[in-house]
Amino acid sequence: MPLEFNYNNMRKLFVISAVVFAVLGIVFTVLPMGTIAFLPIGIAFVLSLLANYQSKTNQKRLPKIILVIAALTFLVVIGKVVFVKDVVVSDKQFEQNKVESKKEDIKDLEGL
Amino acid sequence: MKKIAFVICFILTFGSGYAQIKSNEKLVYAASYNMSGLMTQLAQVTMNTETVKTTKKSFLHLSFEAATFSKWDKFFKIRDLYETYVDPATLKPSLYKRSIYEGGYTKTEKYIFSANGNSISSTTKKKNRPETTKSFAVGASTRDIISMIYKLRTVNFSQFKPGQSASFIIVFDEKEYPVYVKYMGMETVSAGNLGKKQCIKLSIAAKTDKLRGKDKNLIWITSDAAKVPVLIRFSIPVGTGQLTLASASGI
Repeated sequence: MPLEFNYNNMRKLFVISAVVFAVLGIVFTVLPMGTIAFLPIGIAFVLSLLANYQSKTNQKRLPKIILVIAALTFLVVIGKVVFVKDVVVSDKQFEQNKVESKKEDIKDLEGL
Repeated sequence: MKKIAFVICFILTFGSGYAQIKSNEKLVYAASYNMSGLMTQLAQVTMNTETVKTTKKSFLHLSFEAATFSKWDKFFKIRDLYETYVDPATLKPSLYKRSIYEGGYTKTEKYIFSANGNSISSTTKKKNRPETTKSFAVGASTRDIISMIYKLRTVNFSQFKPGQSASFIIVFDEKEYPVYVKYMGMETVSAGNLGKKQCIKLSIAAKTDKLRGKDKNLIWITSDAAKVPVLIRFSIPVGTGQLTLASASGI
């Protein structure tokens, strides 16, 4: 009985931690954090495997869901890293400010 | 972010040696920030040179532009522009301007250097604050941070011994900062479209709380005549990061 109690506690710990890291993984995947997202995703993956190992047959559903989420977010991050290029979008307001600033600069320089 | 912008400018300041600064030079960098031990690319930094003529004389317009990559714009947009107009021969600044937009915070600064370089008339405007003007005295050798970048490219570091330093004075946020550049030796570094280049390794130190650690603010500049800064590593109170040269043209 004490052994089973420990196993249950450990399972709960793994499941809760896996959920937390999976949520972090999703947040990092949505944010432009790049490969940093692999960190929470990897931890969620490992914890969900451990939780799955600790679970009885009728308790394996949640760890498996977390495992799938971790795998999916991993694929999304890979996709973003491979296909989304780092580009600077042309900012019309910024460009306009530069042009006007330069005109003003010329006036200042003429006065020097 | 102001600290990061300062450091990026500041570190880039310590460019190269005894090269003639050409007009229409363009250097593009990818700026990365260290998050949990992994470098994440945040912004693109572009440095340009251009000749500007007035009715009386010709100036070299030096600009430094930092813009976050589009993926970051929704979260923390940065559009910083630092400009200076210098004498093409001496690189002595006449007009310096700074316009920053960092996550909604804005600030503009304009310094007009007196003819003898002993004083500056500044105009500053911060977000939601009235414009202020001020005149203050500076040393004759004091430069703005951008002109310093290029001035350093006239320093002949090949004559330096490891551990030997050069000192400079820059003006930033209406204050003067002494800056020390220590020659640390030669290393081969990847330099974007220039391939692998033999570089001069320099360590930057300044009497400011904006830089941290001993020999943790480093810059590698090519040892050839172009003296292009190719890699910059910085350590500041909020973390560490680096700038890597992506492309260089007109050098």
